[in-house]
This record gives sequence, structure tokens and C-alpha cells, in this order.
Amino acid sequence: MEYGAMSATNQDPPKRIVIASANPLFGRGLEKLLRQRWENQALEIRIVNSMEDTLAALEQWQPELVIVDYDDRTIDRSEFLGHFMSGESSMQVMLVSLKASGAVVVYDRRTLSPAEMGDWFSHLSPSTPVEVPEFVLPRRDGVIKHYLIVGVLVIVFTFLTFALLMNINLLPAQASLEAQTVDRLFNMQFFAISFLFSLISVFLVYSIFVFRKRNGGSDEGLRVQGSNRLEIAWTIVPLAVVLFFSYYGSQNLAETRRVDPEAMVVEVIAGQWFWSYDYPEYGITSTTLNLPVDQQVLFQMTSRDVIHSFWVPEWRIKQDILPGENLVKEMRITPSETGEFKVLCAEMCGGAHAYMTSDVRVMEREEFDQWVTSQQAAAESDPVLLGQQLSDSNGCFACHTTDGIERIGPTWQGLYGSERQLVSGESLIADEEYLHTAIVDPDVHILEGYAPNIMPKNYEQVLEEGEINAIIEFIKSLE
Amino acid sequence: MKRILSYGIVRGVIYQLIGTLIGMAFLSAIRLLMGLELLLEPALVFGGAVGALAFMVGVGAFTDWWRMAMGQPVPEAHEITEESGAKRYFGVSLDHKVIGIQYGILSVFLLMLGGAFALLFRVELAASGLQILTLIQFNTLIGLHGMVLIVSMLLGGAAMANYVVPLQIGAKDMAFPRLNAFAFWLAVPASLLLVSSIFFGGWETGWTGYPPLSVFGPLGVQMFFLGVFIAGWSSIIGALNLIATIVRLRAPGMNYFRMPIFSWGVLATMIIALTGTQLIGLSFQLVMFERLFGMGFFVPEEGGNPILFQHLFWFYSHPAVYIFVLPGLGIISELLPVFARKPLFGYRWVALSSLGIALVGFLVWGHHMFTSGMEEFLRVPFMYSTLLVAIPTGIKFFSWTATVWMGRLRFPVPMLFILGAINVFLLGGLTGPPHGTVSTDLHLHDTYFVVGHFHATMFGGYVFPFFAAIYYWYPKMTGRKLNDTLGKIHFWLLFPSFMITSFGQMAVGLLGMRRRIADYDPAFNFDITHLIITIAGFMIAFSVLLFVFNLFRSARFGEVAEGNLWNSRSPEWQIPSPAPQHNYETPFRVVGDPYDYGEGGDPRYVDFTPEVSPGD
Repeated sequence: MEYGAMSATNQDPPKRIVIASANPLFGRGLEKLLRQRWENQALEIRIVNSMEDTLAALEQWQPELVIVDYDDRTIDRSEFLGHFMSGESSMQVMLVSLKASGAVVVYDRRTLSPAEMGDWFSHLSPSTPVEVPEFVLPRRDGVIKHYLIVGVLVIVFTFLTFALLMNINLLPAQASLEAQTVDRLFNMQFFAISFLFSLISVFLVYSIFVFRKRNGGSDEGLRVQGSNRLEIAWTIVPLAVVLFFSYYGSQNLAETRRVDPEAMVVEVIAGQWFWSYDYPEYGITSTTLNLPVDQQVLFQMTSRDVIHSFWVPEWRIKQDILPGENLVKEMRITPSETGEFKVLCAEMCGGAHAYMTSDVRVMEREEFDQWVTSQQAAAESDPVLLGQQLSDSNGCFACHTTDGIERIGPTWQGLYGSERQLVSGESLIADEEYLHTAIVDPDVHILEGYAPNIMPKNYEQVLEEGEINAIIEFIKSLE
Repeated sequence: MKRILSYGIVRGVIYQLIGTLIGMAFLSAIRLLMGLELLLEPALVFGGAVGALAFMVGVGAFTDWWRMAMGQPVPEAHEITEESGAKRYFGVSLDHKVIGIQYGILSVFLLMLGGAFALLFRVELAASGLQILTLIQFNTLIGLHGMVLIVSMLLGGAAMANYVVPLQIGAKDMAFPRLNAFAFWLAVPASLLLVSSIFFGGWETGWTGYPPLSVFGPLGVQMFFLGVFIAGWSSIIGALNLIATIVRLRAPGMNYFRMPIFSWGVLATMIIALTGTQLIGLSFQLVMFERLFGMGFFVPEEGGNPILFQHLFWFYSHPAVYIFVLPGLGIISELLPVFARKPLFGYRWVALSSLGIALVGFLVWGHHMFTSGMEEFLRVPFMYSTLLVAIPTGIKFFSWTATVWMGRLRFPVPMLFILGAINVFLLGGLTGPPHGTVSTDLHLHDTYFVVGHFHATMFGGYVFPFFAAIYYWYPKMTGRKLNDTLGKIHFWLLFPSFMITSFGQMAVGLLGMRRRIADYDPAFNFDITHLIITIAGFMIAFSVLLFVFNLFRSARFGEVAEGNLWNSRSPEWQIPSPAPQHNYETPFRVVGDPYDYGEGGDPRYVDFTPEVSPGD
């Protein structure tokens, strides 16, 4: 950095020098160089680091040489120069810019006193070396090549990725009308994923290989601060895509919720850790889900205890099942394929959550009708099964459990034959007669710990004698 | 003995133990006096809370405030010169750099613990059938894995923010140094309480703690709730402090758009943490009270509604994922220009996109509840708001891509982790929209696809950037560099292994693998994939062990690195390493742009010469 050469035409050094820069390195570096250049001569050098100080120094001190840091934004060059022009004394001004590459750009500007005007040209001697700045132009021709290559690669990778995703059986078999709808949206999502993943990855990986720092090359990249136009573009375009996906997603959701007024109702009861299915239209209850193909099913679902979730992966749609009478949730499915599937509980429900599954059989209409008939027949010939279905359809399970948990009413598990403590102080053995009385006239025996006047007293009218006996048989079966 | 007791943390733990016992005895005595039967649960919850307070007393976090209350003189934080040495890190220190490292140590410790829990249940899942765990053990481990790592990420974010932000903005320390120490030390008893849940029967709900299951389950869930509740306090207080620091203590000349981009990420994060954390604390507190006092908030039989909990819970817990990733994304934006030797593309857009994510993040919680049975018409507006998150996130991705384009990329270890982070976060980000559109989410909800998506966002948005930050600033902390070879092995083990686990999880999830199940039906043919995921999981663990080994080894034997070894413009690299106790001996002014890298860039960002007043 040969600053000294600047004043080579003038063998006498300037006596008073002001260096204006907020950067301490700039000031100290120049001072050192100047002192080296004019060794043993008395130089007065002042370093100032703000606009006010510079102007103050100009006015009060009348320096012969002013060196201004061209890159310092705290020093307003135009204001400075304007001030300088209006002054009368002769002084030399240099604007100096330091580049990271080590190059020095010098913008040499002088003001001459009127007496000096005559030999003005002699001051423009070629011996005033002005180093040409090393300015890096954006490598235009190369840039287009890069964009072309990357553009082609992005397209190629998008289709490769999408083809791969489409060919590896990402989703389970499609076994319901709703699954077909959902999968259309899935495929659009997979395409968007393929494109965006390729877009960013190709740019990134290409940059990693092509724009890496090479030996001998420049250390610094292109100084591009950003582009508001680009930023706006990649705000607006994704916004449009997002709105499209949201709109399409709403349509898609609406399609999965299509209502068929002829739908068959199945009441789903979930509990830790079992599934139970009631067919109110046929008066049957089953622990496996049997359905006819191509018929919409309306599931009305409730839970006995905690939150569960009904999911058959081949049907896609999933619905949480909540406890609480006012929180019965509905879901509609139209199975479109016959076969065997599994209902999985998809919401963490404690302990044996993993095992909370049940079998699903989707069959042709005739086969389903046969199954219904056989179930009804079995219920008739089997009083226990009939009793279970009657208990369920009459709402007994709202208060009585079959698994030992005490609710509003006593549990039926282990009830038969047990000793019952009454409020009156006496105790009874729960035999068939006791159970019969408890069903038709529940307030005759009030159990210790339970309130009277809760259980309906109309079962003698609602149920036939045989039906009451079937329920008693069912209770007897719960040991 | 006296020497051991001079370590604050030892005193704290002893006090916590004694405090817990005193609390339990006190509550039991009251119950006895009232003629009630003795119960473990209320005694334990009360004792746990008292124990946590006792820890804070024992460690000495209250000492100075007590003195102030008594009217005794207490020096300002910047007047205190703390003794150097390892001991500083095991007791109350007011130096933000020490606290940052303390956060970091606890975070890495919990990272390893949470990872170890994952390894246990990954072994169980490697094949169908139940092999080594019982159902309750499995359920407890998945919940602990989740919550321990969430706390670890909160602390890791706090570690980076605490160490880096005051240095980068030219502050001597945080705005409230004593509150800063208090916030950190609160996290220690919180972590202890959280992990102690394993000794009280565990719990079954997973990290989400949904009632009614959490109302009925084993006692351990109370310790889990209490631990999270107290960790939440730590998070809120820390957030308050960081916001005050960023708003008030920036160097002269550092306007918001000349602030290092990491501070923007932290600012956005802390706005969420300050305003959202209350909701998870509240929701957990309500379940605690439902269990303790029979208040029927969530159990329908008692007049409650289980969906209410989910709204409260996700109102925080969705923005919380941005608490984990925004500092990490800030790290990516911070380091990428240094190693690409180019200005950060669209600085203002990247900065404001963090705020955008933070704000939109508060409007999207319902997408966790598409299947929950909330009012059905709510699902569509939540779909719109959820997909909107893609826009600020997209701005970040596009700006990062434009930053490396035409750069002069160098690939030291931190840069490897940054590029890995972008790629993994891209995978996590792009698997988000299928969860955002309702009908596809009805299939994906509660499957391993969610697990894959979530882990990709957390690894890309937090884990990789966290490692990058440690490799990058470790020389600033210790004056020595982390070993390069070990660092590269760490990366090249972690990155492919993580990709394998992630793809594996997503694949089985799409095909029907449910979340949180200890066993799966062999008919699904998931065994092979699960085995591969487990093996890859162990490789991840091994790479993290290498990293921890590197941390210890390089502190002693690492290559000395005292100067600006990354050739960064950031002010903390213009002073010697390790950074002096009160940071900058001479304060600096900001005179340029933070990321003006590149050919012909202005060499100056900060200026250390004192400003000369006119007339000097």
C-alpha cells in the first residue's frame, strides 16, 4: 500500500494532515505509512472520527492534506466536499477506500488557489498513481449457465422423486370411498413435496459442489444483499399455492363427509381395552365389526372411560371417541372393498393400548344378511347373548358395568350369588329372585352406598318375562 | 464434607430432599389433625413443590434478594469479579456466559438421558411382541423421552441465547443477572422432579398428558406435571430477561435491522415463551387439581370436557415447537453467511419471518385436534392458518438457498451441521402440509408419520443447529477448538442415521403404524423397518457420545484458538477467547451491516474506538 507515492510530485511533505475515519485501524495505519514515507520530518497528523470533528479541524487548523475514508458512512462526503469547496486555502483532499482484497482505491481531488491555475495541468502529471480498484463484476455469462443446469436438475429430480413415491406403496390398500378422496389429496401433496424438496436440495447441493472455495480462487462470495422483488415473489407464489391447497382441502374434506340418508347405523362402544358394536336396526351386538360392502355406515361412537380413537388404515379416516353422553361422535364410512381389516385404537389409552384392536369383515350384502340372521338366531337360542343385547339396548350399561367398576349402579360382575348389604341393615344373597325384584321394582332393596329413585321402575312393562330372565341369565354369566 | 457443600448444586439437592420430606410431613400432619386418612399423593405433590423452593434456597438463588430485603448492601453484577475455575459452573454465578454454559451442560445431560430412554423402547420396538419392557414401563418411557427432551430443548435454546445474545449485542451481561441465575437454577429441581416420576409408578399418557387418562393413571403423572410446571416458570422468567436484554442493552448504533440475526430468532422465541407457557402450566395445574381436589374440569362424569384440556394444552404446545426451532433457525441464518462468505440474503425478510412464524404460530393449535371431536366447522379455518406457516418458513428456506448461491463455501464442522440442519428441516417442513390439510391428517394423525415429521423438524430446527452452535462458539467459551476429526465423524454418523430413522418412521406411519404402541401386529410386516430404525437410533446415540467425549477432551487438549478463527464479522470474535468476564473492556459502536460479507464488502461492522466528543 504505497500511499506515499501520492505526493511524489511534491517533495515537501504536507505539514498538517487530517485523517477522517471512524475506523481506528484506518487512521493508525495511514499515520504509520505517512511517517514512514517522510521519515525524520515533522508531521502533524490528526485523526478525527466524526463529521463534526472533521469540519472543526478544517476550519480551525487549516490542514494541507485531508484523507477521508471513502467507505465511512458516518462522514457525509457531499457535505464535506461542499464545505471544502467554499473554503479559500489551498489543500489537497484524498478519498481512500480499502478493499478486503488488499486493493486501495484512491479518489484524488484537489482545489487550487487562483495563482496556481496557470500550471494546473502540471498537477495532472501521470506520476500521480491512482490504483484502479479491483472491482468484481457479477459473472453474468456463468450465472445463466448455472441457472439452466439447476433448472433442468430440479425438473428431473422432481419427477424422479415423484415416480419413486408413487411406486413404493406409500399408503395401505384403498378400501373405502373416503379413502379414494383422501388419496387424491395425498397424491397432490406428494407432488408438492417432490417439487419443493428437489428445488431446495438441488440448489443447495449444486452450490455445495460448484460454489465451494477453491485453492487460488477468491475468498469471498458475491456481495448480494438481497432482492425485495425476489422475496415478494417467494411470498406471493407460496401464498397462492397455500390458498389453493386450503381451498382444495376444504372441498376434499366435504367430500369425505358426504351424507347418505340410507346409511346403516352402528353404535361403537370403546373402553379399556375393548371394542363393541351395536346394530340397533337389527338388535344385535358384536365384538367384531361386520359390514356390507358399498353401503354407507354411520358410526355413533362413545367411550366408557378415556379417549380412544377409531381407525381402520384402509379406510383412512379416523375419529377420536370421547367419554360422556353429550360427546357422542359420528363418522361416516362407505366400505368399497370386501375383505378383512382391523380397527385400531389410535389414541393413547393407557396400559394395553397397543392391543386394543378388533376384526373387521366387509362382505357382500347377502353374506351380511346371513350373518345378521345367524346372530339374531343365536341370540334367541342363547339367553345369555340375548340378555346382553337387551341390557345394551335398554341402556342398563349407562349405570351398571360388567367389568367390576362401580358407577351409579352396582356392577354386574360377580353380582350373582354375592352377599348384598342393604341400607336397612339386613343382608341378602343375590339369587334369581333378588335380581328379578331388583329389575322390576328396584327400590324394594336399597343397597348400602346407593341412592333410591334412580333406576326406572317400568321394566315390567317394557320387557317381557322371558326377556327379564335372559338379562338375569346374562348377569349370572358375569362371574 | 465442607468442600463438597461449597458446591451450590450439592447444597441445592440436599435442601430439596429435606424440603420434600418436610413438606410431606407438614401436609400429612395437617391431614392427621383434620382426621383425614393419610394419602401419598397430596403429600408428595406438596412436598415436591416445597422441595423445589428449598433447592433454590440451598443453591443460593435467593441469597442476594434476601440481603436486599434486609437492607444490606449488594453489589451490582458488573462490579463482581467471580473466581475463575470449574467451581463457578456448579453454583450460582451471575455471568451470563457461565449461565449459558450451565444451561448447555444440563441440556446435553438431559439430551443424553432422553435419548437413553428412547434407546430402551427402540430395543423393545425392534421386533414385534413384548420383549424387555412391560406396558406401563413402555408408556412411561415414551412420555419421559418426550418431556425430558422438550425440557432439554428449552434449556438448549436458553443456553445459546444466554451465551451469545449479550456478546453479540455488546451488553456487559443480561438485563437482570440475578433473575437469569434464578431462571436457570429453577430448571434443575424441575428436571429432578420430572425424572422422579419414574419412581412413583410412571405414567401412561405420553408427554401430552391428556385427561381423562391422566386423571385416572398412576401417581407418577403428578411428578411429571409438577416438573413441567416449574420448568415453565424457568422458561417464562428467562424469556422476560432476554426480551429486556435485547430491547434495552443493544450497543449504540445497533438498530433492530443491524442486530445479529440470531437475536431476532431469540426475540421471536422469547415472545412466545413469555406469553404462551402459562397455558401449558395452567392445563397441567388443572389436571393436578382435578386429581387432588376432585375438581371436575375434564372428566365428563364430573361435568368436565376433555377437549377443553386439548385446547389449553396445544395453545402453548404448538407455539412451543417454534420455541425449539426459532433459535436454531437463527443459528442457521447466523452461520451460513460466515461460511458462504456472502451477505445473508434478504436480512430484513429473514428477521421478520421469525416474528411472522411466532405470530402465526399462535393461531394454528387446532390442527392437533382435527380428529379430536372438537366442533367440526373449526377444522377448516385451522387448516388455512396452519398452511400459512409455510410462507414465513419458505422465506427462510429460499433466503438460505440464495445465500449459498454464488458464495465461496467453506466446510468446517459447524457448516456441515448447518447444511445438515437445512436438509433435515426441509424434510420436516415438507412433511408438515399433509398434516395441515384436514382429510389427509385424518389418516396421519397419531401415526408414526407424525413421529417422523416431528423428529425431522426438531433435529433440523434444533439438534443440528445446536451442535453447529457448540462447534462454532466452543472456542469462544474455552479458547480451544473442538477436535475436527471427531466432529466430522459425529456429523457423518448422525446425518445419515437420522435420515434413515426419519424415512423409516414416515414409511411405517403411512402404512398404519400407530404412535405410542409397545407392540405391533407382525402381519403389518413392520419388523424389518423397525429393526433398521433401532440400529440407526443406536448410531445416533453413538455419535452423540463421541461428541460429548470431544467436549471433555478438547477442553484440555484441543487446538488453541484465541482469535477470529471463522473470520466472522460478529463483535464477539473481535475480542480474545475465552471472552473476558464482563465481555467488552471498551464498548463498541455499530457502524456497518452485520453480514456484509462478499467481494468488496465493507470491512467494518463494529467499532471499538471510543467516540470523541467535538472539541477534544
